Amino acid sequence: MISQAVFVFLSLVALSSAESCVSPEVSASSYYTQDGIVLTHVGFIIEFSLKCANNVKDLALVAEVDGKLLPEAKVTGNDRYQVSWVEDIKKFRSGERFVNLFDEEGAVALRKALRNGDDISSIKPLVTIAVSHPGTYQGPWVNSEFLATSLAIGVWYAAYSLKSKLLAQ
Amino acid sequence: MTLTFISTPAPKMNMKATVFAFLALFSVAYCNETDDPARLLIAKQILNRYLVEDMDILVKYFFQNIGGSAALQISLKDNSFPQELFTIAGGQLNVVLDRIPPFSNVTHVVVVRPKKYGMYNFTAAEVSYKSSESASSLQWAVTSEPGEGMVIPFKDFNKKFSPHLFDWFFFGLMSLPCVGLPFLLWYSSKSKYPIFGVNTKAAAKKPKAK
Repeated sequence: MISQAVFVFLSLVALSSAESCVSPEVSASSYYTQDGIVLTHVGFIIEFSLKCANNVKDLALVAEVDGKLLPEAKVTGNDRYQVSWVEDIKKFRSGERFVNLFDEEGAVALRKALRNGDDISSIKPLVTIAVSHPGTYQGPWVNSEFLATSLAIGVWYAAYSLKSKLLAQ
Repeated sequence: MTLTFISTPAPKMNMKATVFAFLALFSVAYCNETDDPARLLIAKQILNRYLVEDMDILVKYFFQNIGGSAALQISLKDNSFPQELFTIAGGQLNVVLDRIPPFSNVTHVVVVRPKKYGMYNFTAAEVSYKSSESASSLQWAVTSEPGEGMVIPFKDFNKKFSPHLFDWFFFGLMSLPCVGLPFLLWYSSKSKYPIFGVNTKAAAKKPKAK
């Protein structure tokens, strides 16, 4: 269930400021809940660590998922970040989620674009982490009781029709 | 030093919303007279229908800033999931958030799995934050308490929700002799007398010999 993956993305944006992260390298691990019986929501948790070529640390990152902004949480004690959110299981759809990480500059541009209702895909994220959710398990398609009952009825019907055929002759 | 505390049970969303709204209105009215520092309301919710031994418990921390300025260096510490009783499947229980802007919210999610079954009291997590840039001391707060919950054994859960394929397979196997044996007896006697039954149609089709 835990998918460990290393995503290495080279940033295409030419970053001018010294504070910005140059050619970020991300190693991420993700966890998502797959249960649909016990839980009422689907939880997504992505933990990652970010390495910059110019050794910038303590970056204030903002993540964007499906047009929603999520600030990251820093994990105390080590240099890791966490981005997490929940989705209602009734509105849930399986498939890919793209977590776009932005630094402060990108976050400002992103907020502006969201406020004005502009297209946010033109803003290049620092890195993108992809998570693929296979879907939740909400019990079997057919109840086994139903299957057993229909099988029993089928056997009875076959036997009964055979019997009435024999008696008719 | 004030404690921001809301004790609402996890499933009652509507009630929580009204408490939020009420507190927000109250604090806005109150804060207009002061320099309007950040105020956080933090809810800790368990998003589960059932609590089952060794299965996911989805814990959501919901931070709502109802103050006029941004909350800074928000540190969340949850010591209510001891290692001997819970394993952490995903997420972190001790985290720091840089900033929560005014009138906005942040969600943090952790998934834990209980190692044992039985009654468990889900208590509050501790939060500390700086209520403004110029604040000299940290503001302490606690989250709401999800309250007591019964963690049921995995066996009991399985009894109710598993598809019981094996059980039904063996039921079918056991009922096979009762149905299969008479059928086999009939079938063997039927095949002894091939004219009867099967060949009647074939006989009817044969051209009558004059």
